[in-house]
Amino acid sequence: MWIERKALAAEIPAAAALDTRQLCELLAALGFPVDGVASREGADVLDVDITANRGDAMSHRGMAREVAAKLQQPLAPLAPAPLAEGAPRVEVRLESPACPLYATALLSLGAGGTPPEPQALLRALESSPKGLPAVDASNELLHRYGHPTHAFDADRIQGAVTVRWAKGGETLVTLDGVTRTLTPQDLVIADETGPIALAGVMGGDGTKVTGATRRVLLESAWFDPKTVRATARRHSLHTDASHRFGRGADPAMATVARDLLVERLQAWAGASLEGAWTAGSLPAPAGSVSLPEALLSRVAGEPLQLGEAAEALRRLGCRVEVRPEALAVQPPSWRHDLTIPEDLAEEVLRLRGYEAIQSVLPPLEGPPQPLAPGYLQRQALARRLAHLGFHQTVTYGFISPEADAAYAAPDNAPGGRTLVNPLGQEYSVLRGTLLSSLRAAAEQNLRQGAREIRLFEVAPTYTSGPGGPVECFTLGLVWGGTLGGEDYLSPARRVQEADLSGIALDLGLASAPEVRSLGEGLFGFELPVSALPPAGARIIPAFRPFSRFPAVERDLSLLVELGQSYETLASAMRAALPQDLLQDLRCVDVFRHKSLPAGSQAWLMRLRFQADRTLVGSEVDGWMASALAAAESLGAKLRA
Amino acid sequence: MDHLLPAEILEADRAFAGALAACGDLDALLRLKGAYVGREGSHAARLMELLKAAPKEQKRDLGAAINGLKQQWEEGLKARQGELETAKKHLNALASNWDSSLPPPVPAHGALHPLNRLVDRLVEVFRPLGFHVEEGPEVETEAHNFDGLNIPEDHPAKASSDTFYLAAHPELLLRTHTSPVQVRTLLRVAPSLEQHGGIRFLAPGRVYRKDEIDPTHSPMFHQVEGMLVGHDIGMQHLKGTLEYALRALFGPHTEIRLRPSYFPFVEPGCEVDVSCPLCDAKGCRVCKGSGWVEILGAGLLHPNVLRYAGIDPAEWSGWAFGMGVERMAMMLSQTPDLRLFFENDQRFLKAMGGLD
Repeated sequence: MWIERKALAAEIPAAAALDTRQLCELLAALGFPVDGVASREGADVLDVDITANRGDAMSHRGMAREVAAKLQQPLAPLAPAPLAEGAPRVEVRLESPACPLYATALLSLGAGGTPPEPQALLRALESSPKGLPAVDASNELLHRYGHPTHAFDADRIQGAVTVRWAKGGETLVTLDGVTRTLTPQDLVIADETGPIALAGVMGGDGTKVTGATRRVLLESAWFDPKTVRATARRHSLHTDASHRFGRGADPAMATVARDLLVERLQAWAGASLEGAWTAGSLPAPAGSVSLPEALLSRVAGEPLQLGEAAEALRRLGCRVEVRPEALAVQPPSWRHDLTIPEDLAEEVLRLRGYEAIQSVLPPLEGPPQPLAPGYLQRQALARRLAHLGFHQTVTYGFISPEADAAYAAPDNAPGGRTLVNPLGQEYSVLRGTLLSSLRAAAEQNLRQGAREIRLFEVAPTYTSGPGGPVECFTLGLVWGGTLGGEDYLSPARRVQEADLSGIALDLGLASAPEVRSLGEGLFGFELPVSALPPAGARIIPAFRPFSRFPAVERDLSLLVELGQSYETLASAMRAALPQDLLQDLRCVDVFRHKSLPAGSQAWLMRLRFQADRTLVGSEVDGWMASALAAAESLGAKLRA
Repeated sequence: MDHLLPAEILEADRAFAGALAACGDLDALLRLKGAYVGREGSHAARLMELLKAAPKEQKRDLGAAINGLKQQWEEGLKARQGELETAKKHLNALASNWDSSLPPPVPAHGALHPLNRLVDRLVEVFRPLGFHVEEGPEVETEAHNFDGLNIPEDHPAKASSDTFYLAAHPELLLRTHTSPVQVRTLLRVAPSLEQHGGIRFLAPGRVYRKDEIDPTHSPMFHQVEGMLVGHDIGMQHLKGTLEYALRALFGPHTEIRLRPSYFPFVEPGCEVDVSCPLCDAKGCRVCKGSGWVEILGAGLLHPNVLRYAGIDPAEWSGWAFGMGVERMAMMLSQTPDLRLFFENDQRFLKAMGGLD
């Protein structure tokens, strides 16, 4: 909200002594940070940030009340001579509790327009003056005093004015020229022909004040905040008026604002008052709130005197009674946000200044809790993969249905994971897989010229369930491109599926997961983090004895058919060897070359034996013979 | 003469030819050389010890056997070395005429994501104060995301223009903040709160709001929530904890400033500023010359939040804070565009995330 310095000083003269910077600091310390300062119409205008609970502060007068309370200086008087009210000139019926009070006046306009000064103020506040005194005065009052008012062209109103709920299907063309179809939840001002204004939101086009208007009917009412908020939202119609009524206007201000508006029209446009009257009455004020001394001191963190607190609250307009160990506080009509003791404690601290709050570490009342194993596991996993050369990604949790279908499990129906209001179709499904997101990130990196892609993400994936999507922390990993070749010692080669299996095994999986080819030389796998071994709880693993005798390593070069399964062959060889002595059996080289017999390849098998004694060559020879025999039984031959 | 040699030496000799042939590079060959003829711990060294200890009459024969064996091994190694050197002439040149200014091969490093790194750091900072980590699901109920946090029924944040809802489950939404973790945790610990002496935790996580993607907005981002419940907790404890934590994070000279503000789930509420860590509060572009940077929102728990969880606000009180991880990361790193955090360019990740 824009606050013009001169207009503020008109309400709190002491503020004139502050320069703009000091004023900004003062407002920030009161809870109204200034987002920026502009210079318009020869004055500094502050863009003040006002939280949703402080409808009362949304005017120069409201801001001045805060400054006055902080500076302990008086406000300028706000005393229009109260109008003598008479019999209604137009009947006003209030049919809904959402409008308990409706003050009005009927005036004949004379000659004259909006004076330059209020026009300049409106321009400074980025609200363009219309040159129509009834409209500009209503606007100026709103910015100065915070209470929205409205002027109807009285000659265009037919019969009695009723504040009522709209009838379903009724329409109203609002001032912005849009035809609004109303619902029974919309509160309207209506005449005998139908709605003429959306209560607290916007007037109607048919009764608007124009240059031809001779008589005006003024409205200064109080509307229920929830009703106004709902209507504004329903019609996407957020106006200065709905903003203020929606955050709670001051009901006591309704007749005052009407009187001020009449005063202005008389002064600016030579208007003559035909009559002023009020329908309904002020809503009953909320009861008083008790502020116990103990609660105040607990919130403040130090003993505070009730007398001082009472003084602070009085400066904010509260009526305060000091009782033993508590204050009985009646908040002013404009502070509907003060409803519980904590609200009052906050006001006391706020006026005192948050900088006076001490800095104390809270005592530890119970034992601290350890970090959860699942959290530690994911943290360790991420660090481990980063050390293995992988980059952790953060990608959106929602993807397109096509991207989801590419890798999500076929039985994971996307219907249960679909958003009703996504940003777009490409962000519409809570993902059942990380691979699509990782592939997209990988492709983006490839397009940027990356030689090798190593990415991983640890994030939830979602499975449709009867009660909603079930979340499961998942590890997704993508690796592809060219490995090595970046220095003079390691030759370049393409990343292979087997590289990913190796990573998976290195992470502690018992067997390699399904590695998927993602195209463009990229491979990936994903698995639930719970499938990986938990973070080690032991400080040092249990000791496992190892042999101090030398191990014996022998190689066996086998010629096998191209279709031979390695696992079958290796299992057969292992089965033929003493389990307790065979330490390792692995294929260390695969050789495929045209020099070999057609349809065959060579595997170099390396076997490692160890025992708690020195092994003798002849026994190793025997085992090697058994291993060879096992291999030969599956069609392998010793390579010459 | 073989009878003079121990069995493991004979075995080593038998394995020698195979091992030699399997040497694919000079490194492997060097290892093999070390194992057979190295000065210490090798087969040859062991033989020399045997020779020393052998009875005088055996020394001659044994000596001859050992020398024969050693010579055989050395010749084999030398021949294989020649082969490897010829095969990798280029490599050999580099290895034998080492130019130490040549860039050495460095292992490939990956990186943690900068956002995760920052969250990790925050957890570390709060650990010594007894905070642990609580987590909750990203798909939440309206009750946990709004109602339990004293957010009014008609609050604009509930609108489908602000919050993502699930089509098949109208009561479910993507959490708009990490605060529902507060609600869940309080509900869980309420029955045993006295026994535990209150609770204090951080809740880091991903949250969703219906914002279009642009340099300062993202429909998904991260928050870290902090919460503490105990006896007689007041604003001084919030200030004391944040001062400790922000000094641990930004340095011992860091100052903090509380300003009144409003959030439905706290009362009193405040915004917390920190003296600008980039210019030591002298005034710079990041703090817009003010010397202060807004870093988080906080406050004492609203009694309705405690009541919702079944905790008596007359008995217990507490505070909570919430901070935006991206916002803080952007401020600290002066990253100009939020989208960089979600593009996952390896160059960005390597530079911004790195490893500890």
